[in-house]
Amino acid sequence: MDQNKEEMTAKNEIVESDGSTRRTFIKGSLAVGAALAVPAIITSKSAKAASHSAAVKIGHLEDLSGNLAVYGVQKDHAAQLAVSEINAGLTLKGGPVGSGGLGAFGNVAAQPPLMGVGKGDLNYVNDGGGRSKEAVTFTEDDEILVNSGDDGILGRPVELINLDGQSNNNVWQQLTRKLIQGDKVDCLVAGFTSAEREAIRPIVDQFKQLYIYTNQYEGGVADANTFCTGAICEQQVIPVVDYMVKTFGPRIYTIAADYNFGQLTAAWTKATAPLVGGEIIEEEFVPLSVSDFSTSIARIQAAKPDWVFTLLVGSNQSNYYPQASAAGLEYPMASTVNMAQGYEHRRFSAPSLNRMHNCVNYIEEIPTKRNRDFVQRWYKMFPNDPYIGQMAQNTYFSIHMYAKAARLAGTTEQEAVKKALESGMSIEAPEGTVFMEPATHHAGHYIRLAVADAEHNVQFLREWPMITPWWLHRMGVNLVGKKEYKQYIPDEDPYFTMFGK
Amino acid sequence: MEIAPLIISLVYQALTAGAFLVLCSIGLMIVLGMMNIINLAHGEIMMIGAYVASLLVTEGLPFFLTLPFCFLVGVLVGLVIEFLFIRYLYSRILSALVLTWGLGLIIAQGALLIYGPFLPSIKIPFGSIEYGGFTYSIYQLFLIFVAALLVALIYFILQKTELGLKARATMQNPEIASTIGINKKKMFSITFAFGAGLAALAGGVLAPTTTIAPFMGTQFVAPAFITVVVGGATNIITGTLYSAGSLAAIRTPIGMYLGSFAGTVGLFFAALILIRLYPNGLASIRLFGRR
Repeated sequence: MDQNKEEMTAKNEIVESDGSTRRTFIKGSLAVGAALAVPAIITSKSAKAASHSAAVKIGHLEDLSGNLAVYGVQKDHAAQLAVSEINAGLTLKGGPVGSGGLGAFGNVAAQPPLMGVGKGDLNYVNDGGGRSKEAVTFTEDDEILVNSGDDGILGRPVELINLDGQSNNNVWQQLTRKLIQGDKVDCLVAGFTSAEREAIRPIVDQFKQLYIYTNQYEGGVADANTFCTGAICEQQVIPVVDYMVKTFGPRIYTIAADYNFGQLTAAWTKATAPLVGGEIIEEEFVPLSVSDFSTSIARIQAAKPDWVFTLLVGSNQSNYYPQASAAGLEYPMASTVNMAQGYEHRRFSAPSLNRMHNCVNYIEEIPTKRNRDFVQRWYKMFPNDPYIGQMAQNTYFSIHMYAKAARLAGTTEQEAVKKALESGMSIEAPEGTVFMEPATHHAGHYIRLAVADAEHNVQFLREWPMITPWWLHRMGVNLVGKKEYKQYIPDEDPYFTMFGK
Repeated sequence: MEIAPLIISLVYQALTAGAFLVLCSIGLMIVLGMMNIINLAHGEIMMIGAYVASLLVTEGLPFFLTLPFCFLVGVLVGLVIEFLFIRYLYSRILSALVLTWGLGLIIAQGALLIYGPFLPSIKIPFGSIEYGGFTYSIYQLFLIFVAALLVALIYFILQKTELGLKARATMQNPEIASTIGINKKKMFSITFAFGAGLAALAGGVLAPTTTIAPFMGTQFVAPAFITVVVGGATNIITGTLYSAGSLAAIRTPIGMYLGSFAGTVGLFFAALILIRLYPNGLASIRLFGRR
């Protein structure tokens, strides 16, 4: 009888050596699984109950090491400063429109003030001379940091999760996934180079993550999840090329970093030149790893331009400036990135950046009172920092802007905050009033034309209180009416080749 | 455009590019060429040399006086690395590769943690001279001179001194060398340390032309390896000279007429072809028949 039973058992099911069977194994694993799940069920319930006192998570990803660390560290500090201010119950002024200011008629100095190297405070080398010119003047609010009336965001503390992308696009993609899927951040603020942004934007779109890109770039991103608060070519390339052609002459030599940003910005320059009477005589695209510029310098000398447009990115490429200066290259230069972003005028000895012109939305030397207060706040928190660059200020006001949008929406739920950011928001940043344009998700900025002299002091020759991001409008983009997820490039715009030769 | 100034400019550019390649590879020449150790921390040792130069210049020392210190610090670093790690890896090339790569990462990241994202840059000494519409940096001419001087120095030490003779013997056949009384371990240490010292010195000398940042070594590593490998181990000195010369001579006209990107592509292409034609390196070419 027993033997039969055993045979039956052997035919119907496999019996393990310790007497267990497949059935008992399944039962056992179900029991274990249920036991493991119980704590998860319990905590998720309590997590939901406790969610409105859990922290608001802002994910921040920048290069803190590698070729691009010189830019990433300042942006990281900007994020920390903004989050500490939000948690202290402070915010930047703002609303649907900018605060405006008092316009008046007055006497001003004939030259703009000359700003030199300060430390923790801005240093007037001279204030432009005696009051000898008549002009319409305009005053801005001095105090931009005010009480938010809130504790953190909507009563919840803000937690900054800041990671290091290591100047490596693969690492960027991994860390973006970690922030979105693992940490489940409420807002992602990330990206320096356009290559990094484009590497992570598909991941952002896959998860519909609210993403703020705070760097200046070549323009064109039309993405319903992405808000670009940096300056773009309409604001940086067109004014500086216009000024340089009128002041120095029409022959332009472009030397640019060889990746999407350099190529596209060079295309913008090529399109702008005929509109202002200029001509690109030669373009050179330099790989990001190159640091020896003897050949490039010789080519520039052979071409004999009137001025040089430099779009060099990264520590390797910024070696162009001391090498060109040592080789006696003395052309006036213009850029949209150098000086404001990588503070070459502080890193390299004079006169490497003599006659460098840059249209910037922010540079540390802006002499207004609101900026002087911001600079002091910064150096109080980070006394050893070498400079506050353009992108650092962008990150600073962008995080404050996110906080204001979340308060307007009444929640940190991402779709609601995106709608709040499209409501028509202005924020009083250290640069001036910044307007978040709803249809294009880009920002209108206060633009200044900065120029460095032979001692690397900075002066602001021209100012445009508001330049709007109009190019995507011309391309027919309206992200509020029709959602898109792409980047437009100059090739798609027939206007780029319409004028000139 | 007149021909004479253009030719002079091209010669200057080729010599500058060649000098850059020689300076990048001068430390590696000894370590890889003679000892067959793939030292992926080579760029970081050059970075250490540049850091020493920048730190001393900030303290007030004139730039040229910092160069001996760069060499000495390089020698010390080389001795330490050899004592702690390399001496166990002389027959294990792949292990040496992985270990030195890790060392390089640690050194670079350590520099970032201790000194921040960059150090103050050193102003390029001297000025420039102008001829025929082109200007030339005098410091680049000085670099060409330094590269030639260092190569001559290594030749002299290796060929004309007893220490050099012992070193060459040890590298060629360590077992037989030890039977005739040469202290094998000491020779290895000295040779590796000398290579490291030269790398640091090259880093110091190149420091004014670059940004002094923790990851600056990466810009030197690829050119260094290409130059040494194309040159070959048969005779490290002539090998490095031939390869730096030919790579620079090919890269310069391409770079001048088609841009620096094309120049870099041209350099890699040339390296590819040269290695295919001469797998043992350029130094193995016998120009004048068999000896």
